[in-house]
Amino acid sequence: MTQKDMTLGERLQARGVSRRAFLKYCATTASLLALSPTMVPRIAEALEAQRRPSVIWLSFQECTGCTESITRSASPSIESMIFETISLDYHHTLQAAAGHQAEEAREIAMKENWGKYLVLVDGSIPTGDMGYSTTAGESNIDTLKRVAEGAAAIIAIGTCSAFGGIPYANPNPTGAVSVSDVIKDKPIVNVPGCPPIPAVMTSVLAHYLAFGSLPELDHLNRPKVFYGQNIHDRCYRRPFYERGQFAESFDDEGAKKGWCLYKLGCKGPTTYNACAVLKWNEGTSFPIEAGHGCLGCSEPNFWDAGSFYSPLSTATHLDAGTVALAGAVGVGVGVAAGAAKRAQQKKIKSAPAKAWTKTQAEEESQ
Amino acid sequence: MTEVITKQEREEAFAMFYGMAASIGELADPAPEMTDEERVERAKEVFLKGIDNNVAVQLDACVHCGACAQACQFYIGTEDPKYTPIHKLDLLKRVYKRELSPMSWLNKLTTPEITADDLRAQVELVYDSCTMCGRCNMVCPSAINIGDMVALNRSAMAAAGLAPAELRYMRDGQEADGTIFGADEDLFNFRIQDIQQKLGFEIPIDKKGADVLLMTSGLDIHLFADATGGAIETLHHMGVDFTLASKTPGYEGANFGSLSGYDATKKKQTKASTALIEELGVKTVIVPECGHSYPALRFGAAEAVGRPVNFEVMTVSEYFGRAVMDGRLTLEKKSHPKPIALHDPCKVGRWGGVFDEPRAILEACGYDLHETESNREYNFCCGGGAANFLLPSADKLKRVGYRTKMGEIEAAGAEELVVSCGSCRMNFEVGKVKAGDSIPVESLAAIIAAHLPQKDTVEGDKV
Amino acid sequence: MSLLDFARGPALQWAAVVFVIGMLWRTLGLLLMLRARPLSKDRKTGLAGAGVKTMFSRFLLPKVFAKRVGFQFLLGWIWHLGFVITLLFFQVHVLFFKGLLGFGWPALPNSVVLPVAAVSLGILVILLVRRVTNPVLRYISTFNDYSSVIVTILPFATGFATFAHVPALPYETLLALHFLSVALLLVWFPFSKLFHVITVLPSRYILGVKFWRRGVEA
Repeated sequence: MTQKDMTLGERLQARGVSRRAFLKYCATTASLLALSPTMVPRIAEALEAQRRPSVIWLSFQECTGCTESITRSASPSIESMIFETISLDYHHTLQAAAGHQAEEAREIAMKENWGKYLVLVDGSIPTGDMGYSTTAGESNIDTLKRVAEGAAAIIAIGTCSAFGGIPYANPNPTGAVSVSDVIKDKPIVNVPGCPPIPAVMTSVLAHYLAFGSLPELDHLNRPKVFYGQNIHDRCYRRPFYERGQFAESFDDEGAKKGWCLYKLGCKGPTTYNACAVLKWNEGTSFPIEAGHGCLGCSEPNFWDAGSFYSPLSTATHLDAGTVALAGAVGVGVGVAAGAAKRAQQKKIKSAPAKAWTKTQAEEESQ
Repeated sequence: MTEVITKQEREEAFAMFYGMAASIGELADPAPEMTDEERVERAKEVFLKGIDNNVAVQLDACVHCGACAQACQFYIGTEDPKYTPIHKLDLLKRVYKRELSPMSWLNKLTTPEITADDLRAQVELVYDSCTMCGRCNMVCPSAINIGDMVALNRSAMAAAGLAPAELRYMRDGQEADGTIFGADEDLFNFRIQDIQQKLGFEIPIDKKGADVLLMTSGLDIHLFADATGGAIETLHHMGVDFTLASKTPGYEGANFGSLSGYDATKKKQTKASTALIEELGVKTVIVPECGHSYPALRFGAAEAVGRPVNFEVMTVSEYFGRAVMDGRLTLEKKSHPKPIALHDPCKVGRWGGVFDEPRAILEACGYDLHETESNREYNFCCGGGAANFLLPSADKLKRVGYRTKMGEIEAAGAEELVVSCGSCRMNFEVGKVKAGDSIPVESLAAIIAAHLPQKDTVEGDKV
Repeated sequence: MSLLDFARGPALQWAAVVFVIGMLWRTLGLLLMLRARPLSKDRKTGLAGAGVKTMFSRFLLPKVFAKRVGFQFLLGWIWHLGFVITLLFFQVHVLFFKGLLGFGWPALPNSVVLPVAAVSLGILVILLVRRVTNPVLRYISTFNDYSSVIVTILPFATGFATFAHVPALPYETLLALHFLSVALLLVWFPFSKLFHVITVLPSRYILGVKFWRRGVEA
């Protein structure tokens, strides 16, 4: 029996993982996914019986930040995921194989698991010159299309693959697009964030493994359970917002007192993510707690939505220059139109008063 | 005072005159026939010529708050929203918005053209239900000069051949012989002779180079000889070098071009008066106790001749009031136990700034003046100003206006009323008859004359 | 581009462009119109001073009109004041102007601005109801009147909804609607009676001068 054919339960037993430790992992996953505790045995049962699914991780125009993030996943840890839960058959950064061997591994995994494997994508896909980003001489878009064809589902990890992210930002020199712009016929889960919270990534995987299905998604195909509420609503600094107590700069009294960062450009009110709840680094902290406003990284176009440091209540395109230009045009138009009206008025006033000429009737009667 | 006309004479003349005035509409020539297109074209022309920067800015400042209704006696008295003053400017506004507004390109899409039917419906709004008293001007948060813009509307109505028959009659009469109510030179001379006889001194007529020209009006010649007589007697008493003019329109202060909306007639009349005044070479002209004759000449003479004029124009109360204030005229303080109310005629008060002078006179005479709640520039109109006292169609509205005004006078506790405007007086007299009121209404000029210090008791007692 | 991006970005930008051009167009157009000049001698001197005086004296209601117009006058006063306070001194609005102009000014605490804005909004609604129910106002009101009140109410209503983060809509949608309502107000401003902001003082000046020529304080 190869390792691949063993169920997770068997593998855990073989590795000496206690039943108690396993159930604890299942319970954590269930709570992250906001599932009822009665679901824990179900998860355990499913995971125990689950054969490790093949996972192919495609990296396109990316920075490896998402991989960095997922490797910091605590529960379930990335190691347990890779070694116990899934069969990570292809991942540029994490796989041992290189060059042709790496590509071969992917081809084999695809062939063996056609129609069943999961594709994880980080990075956006360039649509401009194909030379912008290639792997083994194949353009990203071709790779994606080919690999996606045999996928059971695609999980777009990070904002770049979910919404285009930073490569997509104006002026988008590579013509970058998101996975869902390219693939239309497969279930896609977007797990945006720059990077996404590690537990969110692993939990989505766990959900898929446990239930064989994708979690409930919002209108942007994000798992509702993690992206259902905005950061502002869950932020521990919210009371200061309500009272109108704001930090005016990063080192003023307000900042030291932990007042709301709205004025410093925090995008918490318009950003849907679990940062304020799950936090980062095993629940240590999150940007706002560290004293910096939310950048809104898990939202589409976050890079182009004005400065990170301009408050949400400001206009993004309107500036004094625009007003000045409009003012100049307005003066021009106003003076021209006014002069025309003035000329019209002069004509009216200088015209002989028709009202005192005889009426038609009067003329005819004479 | 020398009584130039007895109370009974006055009442008889008044009854006769009132009967005559009631039928002038039937005496009028038929209105000029016009097609609807001609009416609209002419009205629009008047509007367009009349709209300048001031009108435009003020029309653009209206927010339809409706406060003006609350200042208008006709709305207050009827509570009919169509009498809201600013509503009376809707046609003017539409023409402005479509043709001359900087935003006319846009307004043309949303603002309909005015029609002849609109104009016909407008007649009641700018004649019968508006005396251009301008009280609405005072309440408007944007200070829109609604009163003057209604005058522009009257001009448009007149141009469109829609002025009421009574006013056409008055205007035609004035066009024909420069005076009103047929008060021709013969009648004028007869009246002056009569007054002269009663006063017992020679009234200077057509005296070139005199300091002061005293004008009168058809209404005074027919009816209120006490006002004319009072003014003459006081001038004589003061030793002023004054004269009257025997030729029309040298003695006629009334200008029914100005009230009816016939601007050309107004201008013609004022021009003719101005020429006569300048020919006489007087320094000051006293216009009679006739509301509109004051602004017509005071603020119309230079406009009519197109250049500044170098004579002063004052109204009777202003001239004598100043004299009292300067000490040139000393009046005899008498005991007047009855409280008196003063009516500031709109054209002389709110539109002329003559407030302190009549009050100085009343004080000098020893009157106990009870101010109405709305006084001076906030004064209510008598109800029949701007020639409305001649419009039978406005009878109901006039009663309403009279009631509002009289209500304030009664509330002030006054038992006597003094006015210095013939048509106000006329309207009060008619209103009294219709309402069964009995409060005496006096001319300020006559009151002045009655308080001249007695130089010669024998002459003073003469009737 | 999300609704919020559109609202904060191009919508507001173009609305402001339309606003600035429209306001200048109408203002300059009025300014350049011919003006009739009276020839007759004035009864008083110091016309300009009298005009300026009327500009300010009309902020107060003459006592004689108090009984009939006092209520609406007071409402008008409070609502305009509330509007200015809310627009210029609400914390996040100061931020908006700072973003636009490069400088800001001290804001008033939320505990002050929020009740003020609530009163203003309440008065606007009362004024709208009054416009429908009062016979005079109903008679003289046009599309311009109703639309202008509603267009003015919208930023208040959406502003409150945004601040209170009403659960009916996501925050960014509320914020976007607030921006869009402001954009609508800006676009509507130069073409409607809201333009009275520019004309009301000159209009008072005109009557102040006109009446002072005749010796009357308007």
